[in-house]
Amino acid sequence: MIENLTNLLVYGAISGAVYALLALGFTLIYGVADVVNMAHGAFYMLGAYAFSVFLIHLGYNSITNPSPFLLFIALILAPIFVGFVGTIVYRSLIHPLIEDALSVLVVTIGTALILQQIILFIFGDKDMPVPKLLEGSITPLGVTVTYHELLSFVLSLSLIAVLWIFIARSKIGGAMRAAAQDREAATLMGINTERLYMLTMAISALLAAIAGILLVPPAASPILREWTYPLVMSFAIVILGGLGSIKGSLVGAFVIGYVEKFVLIFFPGMGFLKGAAALIVMVLVLLFRPKGVFGKRVEAE
Amino acid sequence: MVGTFLKRVYSSFATKVLDVPPRLLAFLFFLLLLFIPMAKPDSYTLLILTIAYIYALFAASWDLLVGRSGQVSLGHALFFGVAAYLSAFLSKFHGFPIWATIPLSMLFCALVAVLIGVPCLRVKGPYLTLVTLAFPLILFVIIFSLPSPVGGEGGIALPPRFFPREFFMERGFSLSEAVYLQTLAEYYLILVSLFVSSIILYRVANSKTGIVLVSILDDESASKACGINVTKYKLLAFAVSALFAGLAGGLYAHSFGAQGAVAPEAVLGLTTSFYPVIMTIFGGIGTIYGPIVGAFTLWTLMEFFRVAAELRALIYISIIIIFIVKWPTGVAKFVVEKLNDLAKEREIDERKKKK
Repeated sequence: MIENLTNLLVYGAISGAVYALLALGFTLIYGVADVVNMAHGAFYMLGAYAFSVFLIHLGYNSITNPSPFLLFIALILAPIFVGFVGTIVYRSLIHPLIEDALSVLVVTIGTALILQQIILFIFGDKDMPVPKLLEGSITPLGVTVTYHELLSFVLSLSLIAVLWIFIARSKIGGAMRAAAQDREAATLMGINTERLYMLTMAISALLAAIAGILLVPPAASPILREWTYPLVMSFAIVILGGLGSIKGSLVGAFVIGYVEKFVLIFFPGMGFLKGAAALIVMVLVLLFRPKGVFGKRVEAE
Repeated sequence: MVGTFLKRVYSSFATKVLDVPPRLLAFLFFLLLLFIPMAKPDSYTLLILTIAYIYALFAASWDLLVGRSGQVSLGHALFFGVAAYLSAFLSKFHGFPIWATIPLSMLFCALVAVLIGVPCLRVKGPYLTLVTLAFPLILFVIIFSLPSPVGGEGGIALPPRFFPREFFMERGFSLSEAVYLQTLAEYYLILVSLFVSSIILYRVANSKTGIVLVSILDDESASKACGINVTKYKLLAFAVSALFAGLAGGLYAHSFGAQGAVAPEAVLGLTTSFYPVIMTIFGGIGTIYGPIVGAFTLWTLMEFFRVAAELRALIYISIIIIFIVKWPTGVAKFVVEKLNDLAKEREIDERKKKK
């Protein structure tokens, strides 16, 4: 029992941190550009695939050439690639429809399906192995934590901190907050909202890709074509915390991370319930707080 | 007596349908569908069309809710799935006749809509969209976890059909003939259901209630200020929409649509929720005929691309996306507006000539 509790405490925190990274991207593009991006899960999936492909082309092999330097290069290249894809998607598909929220929704669903089909077309049914960033594990306090999980935790939290400072302090961050508050006023102040939204989309896709690279390897089976689960998780988190609120998604991510691990640890045979449990928690929270826990916008933070 | 009545029916038909180009087009289209079986197509073509009609009805019901009241729900599969399940469950395990289970499940769907509508409609905009998406997924997992004959991955296997094969075989038809007749009978049943329901949906959408719903879509607080009970109307839209989504689900469960089993992934999955959204946006939102055209076009187009196996889905989705980006108002709406414009121009020309 005690062992289960410590396990829950540690694993919940780890998955919460990575989920926060995933959900931040979702909330950012909504907060700044009012885009509910249903392709967010697809960017997550694309991130893991791109990472794996870059590694193969760089000559990485988990047995003969397990070079951490190549892993590092791929870890940088893959999210940048996905960010680039996000920019293209925004410019060519979302931007022409930006005034009509429902069309944007449909187009992002379409984008997710297109990305899924492209991946299916290139890789067929075979799964791509996504290597861990670090091998090995430590066992403090009787909880086995792999170095990969530890690195994910640290990396996620530091990226979130960097993003937070970027939004709060930098000039572009200021522009983002301004556009979130009032798009027309921001345009009048000389902010190029189109370019700003493209940049936001790139950051959002980049965060999803990093979350994909971090979250896919520890999963028991590499079902990479699964883009709906991360999507459902990210919107459960974001709704729970309040759409467009960075603080909210942080809180939401840890809540959902703990709920998911709680189901996995205390009901071992019922692993398939974890998604439903997260959604039920989301619905319950929404019943009492119709705008999430922190129903505010990016500008308020 | 009968003659004058028929004359009156004809004249009202002529002024209300034949003189309105879009309606005339829809009427001719329906006639075409009615006579398609005369060309003796193979049963596969009939099956594809039948499924297209089911989705057309499903999408039209979504359009009544979203296109009119503006409450964007992404979880319409919930009603489709609930009705398909309940109807299959009652008829298979409790021996109820299908003619009773479908209305029953439709009513149950409306009840479910009101029950989840009360808390759901408190939330607005994207919150509503994403919350409604959660319900079919939760139900999906619940059914998935139930033991085998009722739940599980396979769902309810072999639900009773509207027209069992035995019915035809007892009357001296061979097995292959019976299968064809079964398909044909289902084709007509579902086509007529689609026709009747779409007229009802169209009438509701353009009734006084429909106009009130549009006022909520345009400006909720203004409608409230005018003394409209916004919540009541939203719930009404939710319930009526669920009623017809339930009909689509019931038709699906007992026809070829189910393909041998009412499985949770097929009726409650994320894609089933996305279908009406994509079809409606493609055809034209808020029109009722838009989703029908959308469903019909997209579903048959998908069969066409089944030939180009490898790239088919990619090409197919890309085409849809291009259409949506190029014609955001929807293809059918675009055509109908053009037709109406032409009719108006002609009228003006005629008036000028008279002068």
